[in-house]
Amino acid sequence: MKRRNFIKSFCAASAVAATMTPSALLAKEAPKGGNLLSYDAAVSAITGGKAVTDSAKVSLTVPEIAENGAVVPVKVNIESPMTDADHVKAIHVLSTKNGNARCADVMLTPLNGKGYFATRIKLNGTQDVVALVEMSDGSFLRAAKPVKVTIGGCG
Amino acid sequence: MAEARKSMIKFKPKKFKVGDTIKVDFIVIHPMETGTKKDKKSGKIKPAHFIDNITFSLDGKPFTTMKVWETVSTNPYFSVNLKVPGKGKITVDYTDNTGEKNSKSKKLKPKG
Repeated sequence: MKRRNFIKSFCAASAVAATMTPSALLAKEAPKGGNLLSYDAAVSAITGGKAVTDSAKVSLTVPEIAENGAVVPVKVNIESPMTDADHVKAIHVLSTKNGNARCADVMLTPLNGKGYFATRIKLNGTQDVVALVEMSDGSFLRAAKPVKVTIGGCG
Repeated sequence: MAEARKSMIKFKPKKFKVGDTIKVDFIVIHPMETGTKKDKKSGKIKPAHFIDNITFSLDGKPFTTMKVWETVSTNPYFSVNLKVPGKGKITVDYTDNTGEKNSKSKKLKPKG
């Protein structure tokens, strides 16, 4: 990573960490921050330093080998009753080695009926795709899967 | 306002009842330029151009909001679920980083 980008992302992440209170996290808004965030900075911007647990409740569907890195289908399913008291609040799709680790932040409501999100993302090389899920009680769940990319999709 | 982009909302399955959970798919034709590619002709770097905010709403009430980055593929596809509460209108509003705003809507008609 270039020095300039690193400083930029570091500043953005620390600014987010400083301004983000737990109440701000509960608000129905996507976490802010710079555009070029590394994976670790993106995770800390989203969770605000909270613990993240790997959970079997989150199922992430990605191809094992993606021939074309420009189009990698990603599907996230979460076991949840989706009631007002217990629902999936947000699904964050991240990649570990892209220039910008964040792909999509999806804010869900109980009206969705199921914790589900699907899209297609770009990957610039072989790396892990991570689904970071925020539940309504404030806990964070995680699922990660490696994807082998034959041709990168960012060049 | 820029000319409307081609976009589409799909419900899966096509036939559904009140109370069913259906998929709402949204597809839009958009370049999703990352800002790192070079134009082969001019040799200049193409500026970033991507959708950054999407709102799915039912009768004007948002039920899913998304923040999206350039790492999403060209001609993006987004799929979420919806528990059908009754008749209504699904509207998807989206903006991109150049300030372009667009929206697409489709009527929700449950049977039975």
